[in-house]
Amino acid sequence: MKGFNTIAIHAGQSTDPAMPTMAPVYQSAAFTWENPEAMEDVFSGRSYGHLYSRISNPTVTLLEQKISSLENGIGAIAVSSGMSAIAVVMFTLTEAGDEIISSNALFGGTRTLFQNVFKKYNVKIHYYDNDHPEEIEKMINEKTRLIFTETIGNPRLDIPDFEKLAQIARKKNIPLIADSTISTPFLFQAKKHHVDIVLHSSTKYISGSGSTIGGVIVDTGNFNWQNFHFQKTAAKVHPDFLFLASARKNIFQNIGCALSPFNAWLNILGLDTLALRMEKHCKNAEILAQALTDFSPVKEVNFPGNKNNKYREAGIKYFNNRFGGLLTIKLSGKKECFNMIRKLKMVKNAANIGDSRTLIIHPASTIYYGFPEDEKLRCGVSDDLLRISAGLEDAEDIINDIKQAIFGG
Amino acid sequence: MKIVINGKETLIEKEQLSMRDLLVLQNVKMPEAVSVELNGEFLNRSEFASKTVKDNDVIEFLYFMGGGK
Ligand SMILES: Cc1ncc(COP(=O)(O)O)c(C=O)c1O
Repeated sequence: MKGFNTIAIHAGQSTDPAMPTMAPVYQSAAFTWENPEAMEDVFSGRSYGHLYSRISNPTVTLLEQKISSLENGIGAIAVSSGMSAIAVVMFTLTEAGDEIISSNALFGGTRTLFQNVFKKYNVKIHYYDNDHPEEIEKMINEKTRLIFTETIGNPRLDIPDFEKLAQIARKKNIPLIADSTISTPFLFQAKKHHVDIVLHSSTKYISGSGSTIGGVIVDTGNFNWQNFHFQKTAAKVHPDFLFLASARKNIFQNIGCALSPFNAWLNILGLDTLALRMEKHCKNAEILAQALTDFSPVKEVNFPGNKNNKYREAGIKYFNNRFGGLLTIKLSGKKECFNMIRKLKMVKNAANIGDSRTLIIHPASTIYYGFPEDEKLRCGVSDDLLRISAGLEDAEDIINDIKQAIFGG
Repeated sequence: MKIVINGKETLIEKEQLSMRDLLVLQNVKMPEAVSVELNGEFLNRSEFASKTVKDNDVIEFLYFMGGGK
């Protein structure tokens, strides 16, 4: 099984005796065993099975197998949200007194998580700029536990130089963590591009349709965890599984951020059409970026696929000549942005991306509300900026709606 | 041959076989997530096909998904 669509549709084993073609939803909190010895074997790790849905669940496991296969990884953990995916990785790899190095153009929620939660537990966060990855080298010391970046910064839409990041990370034996939410496994092959842990908010393109909140974490198998300082677990595991075992047993199952079986099922359903949808999201974003360039009230269109965009080459290289489904535009100011949003008839004003519907948001007054000006700027957020997540409607209808909102009455 | 799997003596109707074949024969679930210990040493996944299991070998199949600590 090689092709992306084939893997997305067929990977993973459903062992249900009724042999359904589509994955069943195992909507049960707990699972019973034929005798206490068999149950002890599962608890102790001597045999495999499901006990309690905070720990594992067959529907959730199927999603994990599919995502792990799509990322060509050694294993995955599905969690309740993209935020909990980031939190689980952070809690697994850091402890008080440790430091991490992160790209400064982050999704607002991630930045808040780092600042509000991890700073409180005395984890120091250094921010570097993806246009200057050489900054990382000066920030690395013996307490550095990970390097974190988004594959396409949301909403700055910057694309890192993964070769450079990996080169720095490898030299110091530090794992490289990438949030590939916006690129998805269809655009970005994390393992091939030297990422060690790749994670996604599956809320976005993976589930599609904006139907649910979810997240996934994949160990690509690139990193040798043998000398990493993990908190001990009672589980005996092969060194390859040290990250996954520690993430599961020390953090995930104890803080209780399991994905519900039904939400896992929605993600599985979404995977069937992920590639088909991504092609269309990317195409619509490209058409939209082109069309908006010709509208005079639009001062600037930021889309990595634009001819003059400095990340175009990176998009061609890393995303197989695609540039994602997001773009941002600048109008004269906040008032003009709000006026435009108010006049839209079809495009929805919502704090999400990757929906079938085209969504628009004014990041400065929403996701980045209350952020200091300099932090907003580093994330590419200003008062005159609007972020658009290209949906799956017919491109002409999206363009016409935006056109009437910009030019109309 | 007689081998010990997860502490239990097990009879296998063969002189020897590869670890990969043993995983299939024993119907080991989720083979992609199992850690395999042969006589006290973890095997890399790339060794499953080439490593032979012989009489008196002691084998552990271990998972990290169960509950517990
Ligand atoms: C790049 C990125 N990472 C993480 C998240 C957080 O995901 P969730 O909302 O599923 O917790 C988002 C959400 O917008 C995001 O865009």
